[in-house]
Amino acid sequence: MLSIKNLHASVEGKQILKGINLEIKAGEVHAIMGPNGSGKSTLSQVLAGNDAFEVTEGEVTLNGDNLLELPTEARAREGVFLAFQYPVEIPGVSNLQFLRTAVNAMRKHQGKDDMNAAEFMKLAKEVSKQVDLDPAFLKRGVNEGFSGGEKKRNEIMQALLLQPKLAILDETDSGLDIDALKVVSDGVNALRAPDRAILMITHYQRLLDHIVPDYVHVLADGKIIKSGGRELALELEAKGYGWLGVKDNTTASH
Amino acid sequence: MKSASTLSSAFLQSAGQALPEPLLALRANRASALTDLLLPTRRTENWKYSAKHLKLTDEMASSLPLNASAGAEADIQGYTVVLVNGVVRPEASNYPALEGLSIQRFSDLNGDDAELAADLLGKSISDQPAKHGSINLSLLNAARFEDGLLIQLQPGTVLDQPLFVVHHTSASHSGSAFPCILVAAGSNSQLTLVEDYVSSGESPVMVNTATEFSLGDGANVTSVRLNTEGQNVQHMGTTGVRQQRNSRFESHSVGFGGTLRRHDLHVRLEGEGAECKLNGVVVTQGTQHYDNHTTIEHIAAHCNSEESYRNIAADKSHAIFNGRIHIHQDAQKSNANMSNKNLLLTNGAEIDSKPELEIYADDVKCAHGATIGQLDNDSIFYLVSRGLSPRDAKVLLTMAFINELVAQIPVEQVRDTANTGLNQFFDQAFQEV
Repeated sequence: MLSIKNLHASVEGKQILKGINLEIKAGEVHAIMGPNGSGKSTLSQVLAGNDAFEVTEGEVTLNGDNLLELPTEARAREGVFLAFQYPVEIPGVSNLQFLRTAVNAMRKHQGKDDMNAAEFMKLAKEVSKQVDLDPAFLKRGVNEGFSGGEKKRNEIMQALLLQPKLAILDETDSGLDIDALKVVSDGVNALRAPDRAILMITHYQRLLDHIVPDYVHVLADGKIIKSGGRELALELEAKGYGWLGVKDNTTASH
Repeated sequence: MKSASTLSSAFLQSAGQALPEPLLALRANRASALTDLLLPTRRTENWKYSAKHLKLTDEMASSLPLNASAGAEADIQGYTVVLVNGVVRPEASNYPALEGLSIQRFSDLNGDDAELAADLLGKSISDQPAKHGSINLSLLNAARFEDGLLIQLQPGTVLDQPLFVVHHTSASHSGSAFPCILVAAGSNSQLTLVEDYVSSGESPVMVNTATEFSLGDGANVTSVRLNTEGQNVQHMGTTGVRQQRNSRFESHSVGFGGTLRRHDLHVRLEGEGAECKLNGVVVTQGTQHYDNHTTIEHIAAHCNSEESYRNIAADKSHAIFNGRIHIHQDAQKSNANMSNKNLLLTNGAEIDSKPELEIYADDVKCAHGATIGQLDNDSIFYLVSRGLSPRDAKVLLTMAFINELVAQIPVEQVRDTANTGLNQFFDQAFQEV
């Protein structure tokens, strides 16, 4: 599904990604772990198409199509979804209006008719329950005044509504208490499907207790330095990143 | 350095249309004062940004035809009075006879009504304290009005739907129009007045308007002002409001830019417990220019004022907000709140914001804030990453900036017209490349 070859990217002239190689097949869940500043979030922003980052080398294809040639909105419509580490607050735009506009943009791309307000309201209420958000939040501004946990649940709700082919979850576990982590994990597990790939980016391994990955990769200084199965995350938890010769001021455990 | 010049003698000709006394004498009196009127320059404080757009050429000096026929305003649903080139057109107007409501054209006034009109005229506008170096071009209206409307509500009269006053300027050739409206709202009466400024024709013209409201005790008046005049119209509007005890005045204005758009709104809270709420939305693009000046005078104690203006400027356009709150010495327990937020859509656009507070009482609550910003790239990326086109994302964010004010406009037809105009604005401002 997703193929990343020798990806280099920089921001404001500073090289962040220094040759990433990664293959993700449909139905798989991959976790990328790594210390702060290793390039985890840059990778997710580059895949989603944030033009603040410049791709200097390498290629990325989604089901054989060159992803890097597509503008952000076209990537989204082709099924790339990024759950943001820091979702933006947009006062004045209601969640309902935003979510319906997004779902209808996707439906239009798929040649389907727009969902009317009543149909969408019904769907949105169902999905909001799935991530334990009070449907009253639909009337509020996008992420406006949301707690950290509510913002993350709103991201997962969007993924559930948009049904992407590739879901990239950037530090979706950060700032969550254990109850919220459970809700978010249930939402992510509900996304697991044979025709969908999931890429989880996390600093801590605790998320992987709830969402069990098929593969774990360690990113350090813009490169993947080690790949393995589920057991790699446990090993990191026990030994820290230092074990791989990587400097980090925090540990990989919770 | 060019010294300040006076008005061209072409403007000093007296207005043509006959009016009943004492209006005729009043107008002649004001006209004789015009010889002393200086034209604003960029050194004139209240015309600093707009003087260069003011073009009072001789060909604009004469009144536009007083007998021009009305355009296609007839599609308004509801009570309607139509003025063309500042003259009331009874045949195009449409409102029922309602007890307690009287709508008269100046030329039909007599006796007490003519006295009342003369008594109201200019009371809330030209009696403004002359501020250092400011120039008041509403004097042109006072000297040149050809006709006007006197709207009276007897005490306790409640109008069940909005009254639309459509000001049509027919710019088939150059000239000026000087529409004038006086509203006397008796105690505990209630009225929503929509002033809709429209134009046809392409010649350069000036529209110089005066609207004066007098609110009795407990009166409740909502004023809605919509301006969709053509590019060729220089619009200078003045609204004056005087409020007695416990009266409430609301103003909602929506303006699209033109070669020169200027609106001065002056509210005097003269009776205890009076309150006003002033909302304004302005969008400009191309080389358009819009200049809003507001003054709220807290004269009596225990009055409230709440003001919110938002400007959006695109391309090389220029929007200005100057908001003044003046709290007099006796106006204890005043509560005043002023907010002006501005959005620049391009590097070439300009916005100037100037909040002014003058406070002479010691027990008041007064807050003001002004911000100028741009659309946030992170917000755009967030929306676009969900599949919205960049245009839709920008429209959503821009609309979010003003939607709160547009949604508060209490007349659906005006909201619809405003939204149509805003969509045209977005089509221009956010063309997909």
